Amino acid sequence: MNVHQYERYWLIAALVLIVAIIATVTYGAVGIGIAMIDDSEETVDPDALGEHERFSETGTHQVGENEYEVNVIAWQFSYEPGGSPDPPIEVPAGSEVTFYVTSEDVIHSFSVVGTNVNTMVIPGEVATMTVEFDEATEYGLLCNEYCGELHHDMEGEIIVHPEEEFDLFEIPAVDAPEQVDAGEEAEITVTLANERHQERSTTLAFEFDGDEQREDVTVDGESTEEVTFTVDTTDLEDDDYSWSVTVEDGMERTVDESGQLTVGEPEED
Amino acid sequence: MSTYVERFPAEAKVIRSAFYVSFVSLAIGALMGLLQTLHRTGMFEVFSEPGTYYTVLTTHGVFLVIAFTIWFLVGVFVWAVTTSLDRGVESLRFTWSWYGLMSLGTALAGIAILAGFVDDWPIVGDVSADVLFTFYAPLQAHPMFYLGLAIFIVGTWVAGVDWFRSWWVWKQENPDERIPLPTFMVLTTMLMWYIATLGVAVAVLAFLLPWSLGLLETVNPLLTRTLFWFFGHPVVYFWLMPAYMMWYLLLPKISGGRLFSDPLARVVFILFLILSVPTGIHHQYLDPGISEGFKFIAMTNTMFLLLPSLLTAFTVVASMEHGARQRGGEGHFGWLKALPWGNPAFTGMALAGLMFAAGGFSGMINAGMNINYLVHNSFWVPGHFHLTVGTAVALTFMASTYWFLPQLTGRKLFSRPLALVQVVLWFVGMTFMSNAMHRAGLLGIPRRTAEPWYDGFEFEAGVGSVGELNAQIALGGTLLTLSVAIFLVVVIGTALNGKSSEIETSVIPEPLSGPEDSPLVLDNLKLWTVIAVVLVVLAYTLPLASIIDRGGLLGPGGRAFPMSLDSLVVLAQLATEGALPR
Ligand code: HEM
Ligand SMILES: [Cu+2]
Ligand SMILES: [Cu+2]
Repeated sequence: MNVHQYERYWLIAALVLIVAIIATVTYGAVGIGIAMIDDSEETVDPDALGEHERFSETGTHQVGENEYEVNVIAWQFSYEPGGSPDPPIEVPAGSEVTFYVTSEDVIHSFSVVGTNVNTMVIPGEVATMTVEFDEATEYGLLCNEYCGELHHDMEGEIIVHPEEEFDLFEIPAVDAPEQVDAGEEAEITVTLANERHQERSTTLAFEFDGDEQREDVTVDGESTEEVTFTVDTTDLEDDDYSWSVTVEDGMERTVDESGQLTVGEPEED
Repeated sequence: MSTYVERFPAEAKVIRSAFYVSFVSLAIGALMGLLQTLHRTGMFEVFSEPGTYYTVLTTHGVFLVIAFTIWFLVGVFVWAVTTSLDRGVESLRFTWSWYGLMSLGTALAGIAILAGFVDDWPIVGDVSADVLFTFYAPLQAHPMFYLGLAIFIVGTWVAGVDWFRSWWVWKQENPDERIPLPTFMVLTTMLMWYIATLGVAVAVLAFLLPWSLGLLETVNPLLTRTLFWFFGHPVVYFWLMPAYMMWYLLLPKISGGRLFSDPLARVVFILFLILSVPTGIHHQYLDPGISEGFKFIAMTNTMFLLLPSLLTAFTVVASMEHGARQRGGEGHFGWLKALPWGNPAFTGMALAGLMFAAGGFSGMINAGMNINYLVHNSFWVPGHFHLTVGTAVALTFMASTYWFLPQLTGRKLFSRPLALVQVVLWFVGMTFMSNAMHRAGLLGIPRRTAEPWYDGFEFEAGVGSVGELNAQIALGGTLLTLSVAIFLVVVIGTALNGKSSEIETSVIPEPLSGPEDSPLVLDNLKLWTVIAVVLVVLAYTLPLASIIDRGGLLGPGGRAFPMSLDSLVVLAQLATEGALPR
């Protein structure tokens, strides 16, 4: 075969270019350590995420000193958590966060604006990616994979809090009577769980019939504290009253519980 | 000595008929393109219901990259085979039969898509296919959409049989001759196409069509998506190889010279045949459920697929230079002035080639596995492929139309100056639109999004502003649509022009280095096909097996999300109530 001399040079230059690009990408993978989205997680049943070990507990969880996991379900047309009506995704600065994202309906994306955090979200599959958040800031989150007629409305938010302000409280249980006789005291005991691995303090606000009681609490890492609020019903008429207890930790995510207390004889109907 | 239509009047009619379907599709697609640019840049609120945007975008994608391109290239292939073998098709009925199949497929899929513009049809209810040209399950289209697609592809398969048959008969009569280059290009392209379409055929026939008919309850979304991209990358070469064919055959001729090298042209087409398919996973770099290793293999294959394009760049420029020097051009770069810039077919193809070089650069970024995170599904991506399929292919097809039409009709081109304005306008419009799309993508602005403005955040432009980018996109889109309008005027004007006797001959000159310089093994199509199949098996067996092993053939559960299937429900109701006419 008769190959012109210049063409031979060109061919060599082309091959050099190709090898150079492959080397660059390989360096990105091996040298810098940019991992690709992969098949490390088992498949899930998109119709039964409520029973799934991980996805029945969406949101942020601390798993190590500075390590967190965030479980997210994408759906037509928002993120849980991340987008409305759910609260934003919240993580602390200076942390290493692994996102686990799946979809309960069609294919979406989970793309953090202005960063290279970007993955497809495929029903049945779980996308994982580990991200380091250095500074307290906010990021926009959007879906860049067409997912139906309101695709353009699919957005969310990630809030990176200063490390010292970041809390992960839960109220796993409230022990409250349903009924008390008029004039008796009712005791409502709130179990407050601190799911961070560090000791944290917060304020519990208890509201009953328009009156508020506040209580500062400090909870060890990964433990619980019980706080009891006492309601005096002496001046109350027989009726149904509602109460609520809220963790005032400065997070966007609301942690609260509420219930009803009947004073006097329960009404029969 | 003579024009094509004088030599092959019946075949010329087939080609004209294919071209006209192609141009109607182009017109529809371009109109949608204009609506998209105006709406999504916020320049003009075209749709009061933003959901309509996705019907428009599906129309744009399918009518342009499936109908416009493929209808045009089957016409070109008929021309290439008949002229280079110097014989008509073996059976005109057979030829019209694939034309018929492709038409039926286009009509069914097209109607399913366009029906989406109306919410409710009498009797059939809601028919639509707002699934975009990638139709990722569990988004579900009307069965007519999948059926149309399948019939269309079968039509192209039958067309391939037509061309292989011509070659086979010719070979019996000319046992010692080399396959003429144009036919060689058609055959290698079709072999690639047969392998590539297997993916989409399985996805549609085994899964999506039965699923849309309610025969299957679920599908595996990752599996059907992977099968789509098994086809979705090589389809790019199905568009591109005919454009390359024009650059190899027509461009040197119009430049006044001859193709630089026949053997290298063959090598390039063989490389496309064997490397096009085992790369599709590069569209799935960010898909969960596929391991990093498989992605890496696809990345490597993709990079080697740059080689035939880089070789083409050399040959095309060398052939043009040869042509220019034949026309008296001199100097290092001075020869450029001697090229026939007044000829719209030449200028269009040259500008298309130039833009393709730019598209090649952004393509290397896309293909760079870990760099892909930055651009995946951003506006950068349509910025990229409007340079490749949207210009390298589309502008080459439009420009070569200016050469083909007189050959196919015996009529003179309606207006050379207007045609020249058209190709230049495309270049200018695309420069604005594509450049701004690339930049918008780097800011994180997503593609396929009717209203890319959000409540919780804004896109921050380092240089310029989002508003300025939007203005450029809208301006570019408007110029491009104007360019398509001019193109149609020239086509219609030519069809209505009087017959002329001054049309140049359709004979393609011999290459400088002819087939006698090509090793015989290059013509061994069996060998190259076997290698291509082996590479596909190597690249795809394990990923597909792993996907099926993980999620099952029908997926780990889930539901269908009909972009509307009311019509079937209505039909079923009518049937059970006995109200359906018998
Ligand atoms: C009048 C000329 C054109 C204009 C104004 C135009 C405009 C656009 C715009 C703005 C988009 C992006 C929409 C979005 O992602 O939201 C788009 C997408 C696209 N265009 Fe064009 N385009 C034109 C011509 C072409 C041509 C000639 C081709 C190919 C032959 C083409 C192929 C495509 C494809 C495949 C998509 C992607 C569709 C999808 O994402 O599903 N376009 N076009
Ligand atoms: Cu979406
Ligand atoms: Cu590709």
